[in-house]
Amino acid sequence: TTMDEHRLFKFPVFRLPKSATVRAMGMYLSGALYAIGFWVLLDAALYSKRVNASLVHVTFVDWVPAICSSLGMLIINSIEKSALLNNDASFMQPSSTTTWQARVVLFIGFSLLATGIAGSFIVLILKFLIKGYNTFPTLGMGVANVVSNASIMLSCIVLWVVQNFEDDDYNYSLAL
Amino acid sequence: MTVKPITKIIFLSVLLSIGILLVVLSCALFHNYHPLYVIAVFLVAPIPNAIFSNLNANYQSDFLSDSAPNGNPFKDFGEFVTGIFVFSGLVLPIVFWHVQLIVFWSMIMSLSGGFIVYASIILFSMFFHMSDDDEGFDF
Repeated sequence: TTMDEHRLFKFPVFRLPKSATVRAMGMYLSGALYAIGFWVLLDAALYSKRVNASLVHVTFVDWVPAICSSLGMLIINSIEKSALLNNDASFMQPSSTTTWQARVVLFIGFSLLATGIAGSFIVLILKFLIKGYNTFPTLGMGVANVVSNASIMLSCIVLWVVQNFEDDDYNYSLAL
Repeated sequence: MTVKPITKIIFLSVLLSIGILLVVLSCALFHNYHPLYVIAVFLVAPIPNAIFSNLNANYQSDFLSDSAPNGNPFKDFGEFVTGIFVFSGLVLPIVFWHVQLIVFWSMIMSLSGGFIVYASIILFSMFFHMSDDDEGFDF
């Protein structure tokens, strides 16, 4: 059959899972990573409210980087990926405009994501480290912010890579 | 070896009841009913997937002629949301424990209970979805 011609490994035992399965798994993984990001931050907020004995508390400022990251992730992954792949040498004029728009919107999305990561480090440094809160139960609330934003970014990366899997069996490309 | 459907159903219902028993016990033994949220989250978890994979069918029949290189956004979104819910259910007891809403053994019991509840839901869909999905999945 056609399946056997497209085999990647010599032994028929090894074969990559179907791209549809990989795609679904990637989606679940991405959701799980996003949930880690959300719960780590919520955990820090609840910890600050209920258990925290120190003077520093989680306020709205601590949520801002995660909100930036989430908005960036939403923007990046809402873009139709095929709009980006059109080159300017394309024969249709409107499509190059779409490509340009897509690149601008994508740039905004990546900027928001980077702002989220940078912002989480800013919160960690300015709110915790500079003011001398560098022992662990207290510092944990700042570290949680970085972990949260990092996992949201990782979730975004997984989502991006998985969306670019080609739909046909076995041979998928990681374009862009 | 084939297993009769009735055996599967009995096995799954026993598994589900063990899971729920563990979660309820983790509440009742410590007089603290916070871990009950775990069951709610796990019961909600498969719903987005179910809804969005039904949208999936409509979407594909509309745009089958078009070359859609990037798969189906609705299905992807449903899987994403389901992933969020499943993981939320898994980490909820840990968060409750960390913020000292529940004690350590209550966390262990509700964690394993929630895991068993979700495993039974997953197994149910694996046992009874596979046969009628096969032809659509394998083209």
